[in-house]
Amino acid sequence: MREEWQGFREGKWCDSIDVRDFIVSNYTPYDGDAAFLKGATERTKKISAKLNALLVEEAKKGVLDVDTENVSSILTYAPGYVDKDLDIIVGLQTDAPLKRAVNPFAGIRMCEKACDAYGYKMSDKVRTEFKYRTTHNDGVFRVYTEEMRAARHVGVITGLPDAYARGRIIGDYRRIALYGMDYLIECKKRDKREYGMKDMSEENIRQLEELSKQLDFMEQLKTMAAQYGCDISRPARNAKEAVQWLYFGYLGAVKEQNGAANSIGRITTFLDIYFERDIKAGLLDESAAQEIIDDLVVKLRLVRHLRTPEYNDLFAGDPTWVTTSEGGVCEDGRSMVTKTSFRILQTLYNLGSSAEPNITILWAQSLPQGFKDFCAKVSIDTDSIQYENDDVMRPIYGDDYAIACCVSAMRVGKQMQFFGARCNLAKVLLMALNGGKDEIYGIQVAPEGPVFDEGVLDYHKVLEAYKQYMSWMAKLYVNTLNVIHYMHDKYAYERLMMSLHDTDVDRLMAFGICGLSVLADSLSAIKYAKVTAIKDERGLITDFKTEGDFPKYGNDDDRVDSIAKWIVESFFEELKKTPTYRHAKHTLSILTITSNVVYGKKTGSTPDGRKRGEPFAPGANPMHGRDCEGALASLNSVAKLPYSCCRDGISNTFSITPDTLGENEDDRVSKLTAMLDGYFIQDAHHLNVNVLNRQKLIDAMNDPTLYPNLTIRVSGYAVNFNKLNKNQQQEVINRTFHEKF
Amino acid sequence: MNGPRRGNIHSVESLAALDGKGIRYEVFFMGCPFRCAYCHNPDTWEGEGTLHPTADELAAKIARYKPYFGKEGGVTLSGGEVLTQSEFACELTDRLHERGIDVALDTCGGVPLTDSVRRALASADMVILDLKFHDEEGYRRYCRGDFRAVMNTLDFLEERGACVWLRTVVVPGINDSEEEIEKYAAIVKRYKCVRRWQLLAFHTMGFSKYERMGIDNPLKDTPALSKDRLAQLQEFADKCIGEL
Repeated sequence: MREEWQGFREGKWCDSIDVRDFIVSNYTPYDGDAAFLKGATERTKKISAKLNALLVEEAKKGVLDVDTENVSSILTYAPGYVDKDLDIIVGLQTDAPLKRAVNPFAGIRMCEKACDAYGYKMSDKVRTEFKYRTTHNDGVFRVYTEEMRAARHVGVITGLPDAYARGRIIGDYRRIALYGMDYLIECKKRDKREYGMKDMSEENIRQLEELSKQLDFMEQLKTMAAQYGCDISRPARNAKEAVQWLYFGYLGAVKEQNGAANSIGRITTFLDIYFERDIKAGLLDESAAQEIIDDLVVKLRLVRHLRTPEYNDLFAGDPTWVTTSEGGVCEDGRSMVTKTSFRILQTLYNLGSSAEPNITILWAQSLPQGFKDFCAKVSIDTDSIQYENDDVMRPIYGDDYAIACCVSAMRVGKQMQFFGARCNLAKVLLMALNGGKDEIYGIQVAPEGPVFDEGVLDYHKVLEAYKQYMSWMAKLYVNTLNVIHYMHDKYAYERLMMSLHDTDVDRLMAFGICGLSVLADSLSAIKYAKVTAIKDERGLITDFKTEGDFPKYGNDDDRVDSIAKWIVESFFEELKKTPTYRHAKHTLSILTITSNVVYGKKTGSTPDGRKRGEPFAPGANPMHGRDCEGALASLNSVAKLPYSCCRDGISNTFSITPDTLGENEDDRVSKLTAMLDGYFIQDAHHLNVNVLNRQKLIDAMNDPTLYPNLTIRVSGYAVNFNKLNKNQQQEVINRTFHEKF
Repeated sequence: MNGPRRGNIHSVESLAALDGKGIRYEVFFMGCPFRCAYCHNPDTWEGEGTLHPTADELAAKIARYKPYFGKEGGVTLSGGEVLTQSEFACELTDRLHERGIDVALDTCGGVPLTDSVRRALASADMVILDLKFHDEEGYRRYCRGDFRAVMNTLDFLEERGACVWLRTVVVPGINDSEEEIEKYAAIVKRYKCVRRWQLLAFHTMGFSKYERMGIDNPLKDTPALSKDRLAQLQEFADKCIGEL
């Protein structure tokens, strides 16, 4: 056994890369409550003050600074520090905190626009370097068909990662701490030799080239760590090194890639093994352990990418989705909650509430009550964390999966995802009524079909037409993503992140739906009320008169909830009919990030009574104001959507006022945990919880200085409320707040 | 009337965390014998509600929420005044009990004790009773109600050994003094069945309903009771009655 591993229980993990086996053989479940936790040390308070001052400065300017001279990569910048004397965990993306890097690999135009938007100019040096280089964006547009361009233009598919990096890939950064880079490099070299023995098919050639790229960046990562005075060629010797080694891996990844979501994975149960060893050996006390986690989180809060204002419309609030995954249950039945799961939650008190990292609780019915109660307390106090159902994910993904971005589960180091943004299924309804024409631009996007007559709509006829256009949409969507991911692999391959995966990785292609509640309610209106189609001067159906009442999604009413279920099931079936690039498994999410506002803008009036341009509900949420039987009825409706066909996640955001939830803090905690248990036992997937008053948001909108750190959950992530634009703020305020007078 | 009995229900609320133990599903019955000056649901006083389910239908709908109830939660029948439809309340309680669901009954206590009212009160797992005033004068003046009827209800519950929570709305200028609280406490102390006595702050949030419905609102100029004052009075009230 290596000397760095002294004190660990041996297992399969000693002979080959197997982090899961290391964890299961060595972790110590913690069943107690939060009483052991320690507050911020003097050092942490100093760093925290420094961090907050930087954030205030950044908020004033939009971005704090941009390095326009250099192209972001692992070795581009000299080492940077928040405070060289006080940093415990070191490493920044560039040479100074919050200074953003230029990363044009996925698309140079986006990068130039982003520089311009904040008053910077991309240097001639970078421009020249990329003059002779094909970006991912160049590649995609060489292949895009007219139909793909049209669908993208009218916004029936939007947010595609064709001009920015795809993200949603989680490197298994824990491997660096456990094994050291030299062993990982040795394993990759062995894999490369083995692939070299095979026939040189196109697939194998690509794999060999990718392995060579991986090896290049693995060496570079060692050099980067050496610049900070650390030798990561060997395994970590103690908890501080384990955190540092792991963070170096993540840091290298975000220097290389500016994907929408770069999540860090399931790290605390792993790290806890090192903390336990050090604490037992008397090398650390609780306060020192907390301080290390606090400092890691400080670094994670500093992650930034340079984005355009348009990007911000889709993904508001400058999110980076440094998602962490906490808790869950081991396949042997033990809880995977450790003291370090508590410690990372404690950072929200020691450093103040924050949108990042995106702390995600893997909720299981059998989690220890002490942990459930602490999570609920953190939700009530900070509105910063989200919950996902381990009991539905574990049977599919095992016990060493993590969440990427908002709700996407994947086995760490074994699976990667081709991110696919989302398509607008509410808009497809309007296309079906208009024979394939877009209701806003008036252009033919889908194949030409019969236009519906003015007058009362017949449910069965509408449904038949809808099925045909849904089928067209699914095929086009899969093919568009195939083009995107082929080009991303070719021109913007994630060298470092993929080097921290098994070579024979399992791929998922994650499709998405937006407009679910609008579509379900629209079909319900056509079925149960009287909906008259009205044409405009172009002969297109652009308005509806809806008379009579109809069942609305969000009231636990099977008449309409079954329509919502039908939509996701049939769309998933349609998607599966078209093969994917690299044999990826089709998965589907119902998640909008904050693009529900933009999608609404791009969609004409709908039969449910929603007018042209009005926002959709986020994710799988019922439309605001239509759920009239209260919070749990709304949860029950969402819980009916089957995770079996939405394995990329079903996002639900829930806001409740403190006084509705309970009389006092203890009461609120016990009711929130009961609510989460009740929701998740029905096999629901995800819940964002906000416990706050609407008035507080209105006050913050009118005077942002009142609550500078007001964090709220909006979709699969949290944002600082003040970073949303006015439209987005208004939309959040308009959402249903469950309250009682 | 043909067919099974149907309830006249104003509305339902699937998450009511304040009226009883744990998470509650609340059913608001139509109809009320009182006309309290500070009522925030005047739209439940009379007329037809939005739902007219049979007890079985409503119980089946509510059973969907069992996963949330845990060890403590359940259903709270409220209103309006639930006991104006006591036959339906009895049936519903039975159907809920058959499904293993706890039933709390939230009443003004002002409905005469007919057989079915007694049955409804007796079969509830817990009764939340509003002790709005401590004398006939208060009830007459602010509720157009009968103090004796309320005391009869409380006596009946005491006899049955029921589990009772009392609630009192504290209105500025009417009963927000220590002297007033002492008078209530004198009554509360007499009943062993009372497990909790909770003071609630008068607030003005339901008042837009009065304007919408064109009903005169005698307390429209009364300010809400502050949280701090409520806490003070609750502490005083707790001291007056000692350990329950």
